[in-house]
Amino acid sequence: MNEKILLAEIAELKKRLREKEAALIALRQETQILQENGLTNTEIARYSRQVILPSIGVTGQIKIKHASVLIVGAGGLGCPSGLYLAGAGVGRIGIIDYDDVEITNLHRQVLFTSSDIGRPKACAAAEHLNRLNDSIQVVPYKVQLDSSNALNIVKDYDIVLDATDNVATRYLLNDACVLAGKPLVSGSALQFEGQLTVYNFRGGPCFRCIYPDPPPPETVNNCGDSGVIGAVVGTIGVLQALQVINIILDLPGIMSQRLLLFNGINMKFRDLTLRAQNKKCAVCGPNSTIHHLIDYEQFCGSKANDKNPNLKVLEQHERISVVDYNEKISSMPHLLIDVRSAQEFELCHLEHSLNIPFKTLSNNKNLEKLQKEINENHHETKNIYVICRRGNDSQKAVKIMKNFFTNSDIQIRDIIGGIHAWTYNIDTSFPIY
Amino acid sequence: MSSSSGSQQQVRVKVLFFAQARELAGVSESELLLPARLASNDLKGRLISEFHLSLIGGVFVVALNESFVEEDTHLELRESDEIAVIPPLSGGAFSGQVLVSFRMCYE
Repeated sequence: MNEKILLAEIAELKKRLREKEAALIALRQETQILQENGLTNTEIARYSRQVILPSIGVTGQIKIKHASVLIVGAGGLGCPSGLYLAGAGVGRIGIIDYDDVEITNLHRQVLFTSSDIGRPKACAAAEHLNRLNDSIQVVPYKVQLDSSNALNIVKDYDIVLDATDNVATRYLLNDACVLAGKPLVSGSALQFEGQLTVYNFRGGPCFRCIYPDPPPPETVNNCGDSGVIGAVVGTIGVLQALQVINIILDLPGIMSQRLLLFNGINMKFRDLTLRAQNKKCAVCGPNSTIHHLIDYEQFCGSKANDKNPNLKVLEQHERISVVDYNEKISSMPHLLIDVRSAQEFELCHLEHSLNIPFKTLSNNKNLEKLQKEINENHHETKNIYVICRRGNDSQKAVKIMKNFFTNSDIQIRDIIGGIHAWTYNIDTSFPIY
Repeated sequence: MSSSSGSQQQVRVKVLFFAQARELAGVSESELLLPARLASNDLKGRLISEFHLSLIGGVFVVALNESFVEEDTHLELRESDEIAVIPPLSGGAFSGQVLVSFRMCYE
């Protein structure tokens, strides 16, 4: 039996399973016994371990039941947040993600299983959350949040949880929450570090109060570029869920005007006091200039998603396709420089390539070394090709190298589409990450 | 010249770096000799120039003893005060590793 047939059979069985589960939920709901305190017997049993806490009680559980939370991003933050919020019995959870599940997500996005690969994240997440708790409503949105839809979605929820991974969406969500008057529980994590804050909560500062200007786009990376450890991003996601519960229950200790920093290497938590609301804030200040959502990709100079990178730094003649490069490999003396990090290089690399991580190229000493090496040992080398993962850094690297090798007759070009293009067009056995 | 000039008293403060700031500075903490009284904008400027932070374009939080430092304020620093430099985390990582040696490829 081949893989294709097996996958089709599994998909069919799952579909039938979902139908039977839905029928079971409907049947059970008909036979629910509702107590005078407003909870059903199933809810009493399910939530008993938290209801017996003095700061929750039945009143608190009813508040949680009637609360609605919008999770923006079903990633490393949104998955663990969603699990704890569904577990706690938040009555309505919206979950937004435009993306499909990929194998590279699974080490940290704990809602998904291997068999979800290729499915829309929002739908898979909603299904898993409902499997954990069938007495709550989970609403999946398979959309890219943008200025045209953000306010409409945000206004339907009490609290918004920012579990996104890019700057443009963070500004968009912040402004939407200010305009709609919703608290924003914001988390972020990269590599071994995490941050947590609550914005726009009872007169506290918003994201723009703290960061009026976006970071320069060329300095902004994401988990795909920089890496992240699952348990660190999970820690922040779980803390976001806890903040949401505390807001619903009106408990103290909300991280408004505070910033929690977590470092997973030295295991330190730090709690900073942030500024109060910025009177000059463009969106929440008294003289605000932003009264409706703007173009955030333009404002930040960066895309709201990392799909289809289309950086165009070089002219066509400064680039080469993987097909043309493949033809030249054996016939022309050249130098192939791979500008990915040492760790990525170790994962996989083309034969005979030389690893000079992009981040080290700005150091002139490294370029001088390269020049010396070429002059001494490889003076016949007239062609340098530069490759990276997807063809963005390689273009920037060519620019840097061209600025340095001004007086030489060496041709420097980048390989369009990088290692990814190599796998798709030349060697399908080459790993993709 | 900024208001940090003059012959006033200097204090040694501890500087902590987070996320991308740590990678640009190349260390997770350092020390800095600063005038005891200085403007917050001058502090930010000194941090950028001393620790190669210009790449992140001033988009970071500065905290003094775990409290946010607002722009256009005057600071009174004391010996062993702790200053933290915290960029937003959606900004990525910058690895400051120095290349040790080269191997050449194709002959």
